[in-house]
Amino acid sequence: MPKSLMKLAVPAVVAVVSLGLSATAVPAGAASMPTFTIAYEGPLSGGNAQLGLNMQYSVELAINQANAGKTFGKLPFKLAFKAADDQGSASQSPTTAQELVGDPSVVAVVGPAFSGATKAAEPFFSQADLATVSPSATAPELAQHGWHNFFRVVADDNAQGPADADFINKVLHLKSVYSIDDATAYASGLVKAFDNRAQALGMKVTHVTDTGTTQCQNGTGDVSEYGASATAVKSSKAPIVFYAGYYCDFALLVKALRSAGYTGKLMSDDGSLDPHYVSEAGAKNANGTYISCACADLTKSVAAQPFARAFKQLAHFPVGTYSAEAYDATNAIIDVMKSLGAPSHITRAAIVKGLAKVTYKGLTKVVHFQPNGNISGTAVYIYQVVNGKIGVIGLAP
Amino acid sequence: MCFSCFTQNFWNLLVLGLADGFLYALVAIGYTLVYGVLQLINFAHSEVFMSGAFAGYFILNGLIGTGSPHGLSSVAYVVIGIAGGACGGGVIAFLLERVAYRPLRRRHAPRLAFLISAIGASFFLYNLAGKEFGRDAVEIPAPFTNGPVFSIFGAQVTTYYIVIAVSAIAMLVILDRVVAGTRLGKGLRAVAQDAETASLMGVNIDRVVSQTFVLGGLLGGAAGFLFGLNTGVVYTMGFTPALKAFTAAVLGGIGNLRGAMVGGLLLGVVENFGAGLFGTQWRDVVSFGILVLVLLVRPTGLLGERLGRSA
Amino acid sequence: MGYLGTGTLTGTEPARAGGGAERPRLGWLRRLAASDDARRLGACVAGFLLLAVMTGPEGSSLAPTSGFSGSLLHPRVFAFIGLGVGLWALITAKRRYGDRARRLSEAISAAPRRLLPNRLARYGIYLVALAFAIVYPMALSQFWQNVLVDQIGVYVLLALGLNVVVGYAGLLDLGYIAFYAIGAYSAAYWTGALPVHPPITLNPFWAIPLAIFAAMLAGVILGAPTLRLRGDYLAIVTLGFGEIIQIVATNLQSVTGGSSGPASVIPHFSVNLLGVHYKWGLGDLPYYYLLLGFVVVILVTFHALEGSRVGRAWTAIREDEVAAESTGINVLKYKVMAFSIGASTSGFAGMLWASQVGYIDSTLFTVQLSILVLVLVIFGGMGSLPGAVVGAAVLQWFPWFLRVHPLFGFQPEDLFIYLGALLVVMMIFRPEGLLPSRRRKREISLAEHGEGTADAMTEPEGAEP
Repeated sequence: MPKSLMKLAVPAVVAVVSLGLSATAVPAGAASMPTFTIAYEGPLSGGNAQLGLNMQYSVELAINQANAGKTFGKLPFKLAFKAADDQGSASQSPTTAQELVGDPSVVAVVGPAFSGATKAAEPFFSQADLATVSPSATAPELAQHGWHNFFRVVADDNAQGPADADFINKVLHLKSVYSIDDATAYASGLVKAFDNRAQALGMKVTHVTDTGTTQCQNGTGDVSEYGASATAVKSSKAPIVFYAGYYCDFALLVKALRSAGYTGKLMSDDGSLDPHYVSEAGAKNANGTYISCACADLTKSVAAQPFARAFKQLAHFPVGTYSAEAYDATNAIIDVMKSLGAPSHITRAAIVKGLAKVTYKGLTKVVHFQPNGNISGTAVYIYQVVNGKIGVIGLAP
Repeated sequence: MCFSCFTQNFWNLLVLGLADGFLYALVAIGYTLVYGVLQLINFAHSEVFMSGAFAGYFILNGLIGTGSPHGLSSVAYVVIGIAGGACGGGVIAFLLERVAYRPLRRRHAPRLAFLISAIGASFFLYNLAGKEFGRDAVEIPAPFTNGPVFSIFGAQVTTYYIVIAVSAIAMLVILDRVVAGTRLGKGLRAVAQDAETASLMGVNIDRVVSQTFVLGGLLGGAAGFLFGLNTGVVYTMGFTPALKAFTAAVLGGIGNLRGAMVGGLLLGVVENFGAGLFGTQWRDVVSFGILVLVLLVRPTGLLGERLGRSA
Repeated sequence: MGYLGTGTLTGTEPARAGGGAERPRLGWLRRLAASDDARRLGACVAGFLLLAVMTGPEGSSLAPTSGFSGSLLHPRVFAFIGLGVGLWALITAKRRYGDRARRLSEAISAAPRRLLPNRLARYGIYLVALAFAIVYPMALSQFWQNVLVDQIGVYVLLALGLNVVVGYAGLLDLGYIAFYAIGAYSAAYWTGALPVHPPITLNPFWAIPLAIFAAMLAGVILGAPTLRLRGDYLAIVTLGFGEIIQIVATNLQSVTGGSSGPASVIPHFSVNLLGVHYKWGLGDLPYYYLLLGFVVVILVTFHALEGSRVGRAWTAIREDEVAAESTGINVLKYKVMAFSIGASTSGFAGMLWASQVGYIDSTLFTVQLSILVLVLVIFGGMGSLPGAVVGAAVLQWFPWFLRVHPLFGFQPEDLFIYLGALLVVMMIFRPEGLLPSRRRKREISLAEHGEGTADAMTEPEGAEP
């Protein structure tokens, strides 16, 4: 019985796809200029939509700017943008991947945004020789599956977690730590790497999982209060709390910690590198917090400011977590396409080969990939909240 | 399991538990009231809670903005916020009854249909809220500066907990008086006892049912606002607290108003003790576990099911 | 309605005065409001205005009214008002010329039945449908083949299972996806993909019975005590159970891999039996045929079950639990049976899905998914096998269709708004579903006239205080 409906669907789909092709292949005014699509796959609905939108508009912005000749000069081709929603979930991403694979105009994909979705979708992309550059999937094992088309512009958990432990041990000279993760895929991987290094350094590690609230990430409808966690932290007398997770929950935790009378130091990861952390926790509570990120300080960078402005103009909200990474990922792809020269040389396979060799100076870092697809040169920067403002204080050891 | 974590933090966890418990009690009353008159679980009560939080947020955001009020103006803002939250909850509860319940009641639909219709309404409401008000969490501007006020055996009691306790007790007392003493309360009890007879005696059932939803909605919305003060407001925020409040209502004996109050407080405390004992990630498992246990061992709850029901 | 919103909590005589003062001035309004036609017009227009908001632009927390104003203070609103008035006109006309219209609609709905006068013809139709189901997907693109497997096929299985619980036994199970999770995790465990290793690593095919057994066992363990309770308690307990399973899967990282899932891949199916070697791979079509085979087997089994003693017992329980009990039917036994059959079907679906995608994590098994499957069953028609299949197929296919063919500005994130509204609307106007089972439809209408219950929501003996 599903089939009778498919009967209706398929011709319609074919019609739409072919319409879409014919419409984009001959853009008005630029006859005979071929069009290629760079797609974005990430969560655009569900509880993680905001994170997905942070990236989606960056991809769109990079494409618009390239088409306007602002970033790469005059290109011999036009770029089109396509957003594909996978809800950040492995239950949707295989189908989403097939959707993109099946669209012949798509030559490269920015995404998938989430590690789980990537694991489920990557076999299909790999089979189709379609390059994927993830701005945000940090699970270390993604690079170990031998997917030749897999790249990411973000450091994996194994880069950041150990650097954080080193910082606490070698710079702050603290011997014990209370680590908390929010049970998301991102945080649990990160905290595992952190705990392992901290223990290897001889530190005392108390680890708990406190399931994240809906607030930034989970979308399960769970709003925990952190009161019980805060009392546990306080009575442990640990000199520092390391929180693996995102800023909304970290802000709640910090509020609860401070109101429970905890006076130790605080540290978190790039998920908390967001001005909203300070505004939601309150500057008084947040001051002194260390935040690590394998990314350069965007607020100070001259190059980043026009990006932030243009982003806000397009998206109607300010840049957020992973916006700059998505912008870099897209531009790295466009850079490869440009270097391929004539449009006839631009194929999915050629882009995969090109990305393996690319060196492109982006906003967050120089985009250059290791053979397994990981970004090379992952310097971890330490930030600190001073007087309610987040600023870089240096590189992690 | 960490027994020393529990004993060391006993008083802290107790204070936390009571604060949670007051909020659960306020929401639980919404379930119990509706159950009393209709013998139905209002699955969409979670969205009443969420609407109250949003209403309070919008009002306080408009009034306070970036300021930081103190003194008497703090009190005024808290009262305004609670009133706003209550109105938001009340309006949604009223509409809910009109749209998702009344047409089915007119038709004497099977109970399954009510549950499904309420689940549909719940999904509709919270996803619509996400669409209209944004899907990221927002902070309610603080109407007061939160900080420790006094301490019991080393457990700090902060302004926030006092605000919750005072306003919840006030609302619970008012509710008790309303149900015991007013015309509305009499109608409510009459319908709960025997709807058919009440209707023969001239009680307008439709009106009483509607009023019951609104009454539960007022308390649920106010609780949503109080909850949101601490955790922020997001469209999915209703689900878990409401499920726990339902647990509280069952724990105390569904249909029994005082039972809902006792059940709420008890659940809040037990849940936080559980979190202290097993770790915070098991907090929800503790409360749902309690729900399952209570239903199995004593389905009528601690104080028994009542609200005028001939028992 | 006048006495509302003026603070019923504060006064002992809630806002009587306000309502009274307005009465003389707004007398015409009251008279209008009292007329059924006007009320229906109001409801129709209000419904379509709501639809205008649902399909309108997004708002944000900074501009909470922008979504409303963008959809209501826009010329498009006239189209929606027009549609509302149109619907009202249609309803009014139908009421005026009701008899003729009813006869017409009955004639239309009876037509298929007249075309299928006997069993033989019906089986003929089924065979044609099956042949079509076998041949047609070959002509589809990879994408639609994947939709057919991952988004439709698995959900058809899920809907068929939940149909036994909700449709046949009249129980409401809101933690249905927990069993799906149990099946998926069993598959991962027995194939050696989880961090904890099984005593012997099995091929997914041999894991099927184990996964089904695990889900069924969980169903019996949960069902046997809770099915004694009244039906709405069961809904809450299963909801809590679903949450617990998800939390446990998230927290027990060393066992399940938590929210990042196990690192290793769950292998695809393969057969190596009696000289036949076949390995299912990335391609969707082989999986489709596997699923189709299972669906057909399940359809035949459930159809037989429906007509058997068990099926008749379920019907009796649904129609009148007390009467069923007093005629000697062991109500609890049959309820547990339905519950665990549903659970094992769900576990089986989870098992298949896990092996096909090769990856699972704890974030997949949300309450939303349980509700989604419930919507599929309700939409298709509770208790109707073709209903469950068609309901699942249509509702799961439609969002993907809209994605590649965006009509009326549909956005995927709004899906649950529509599904929620669909549930309410169906409960109000067509509780029996799209393709109702004849029996179920009759029960609902009987229940509405005060005979029987049409569900198993009443309190079984012993639970009454």
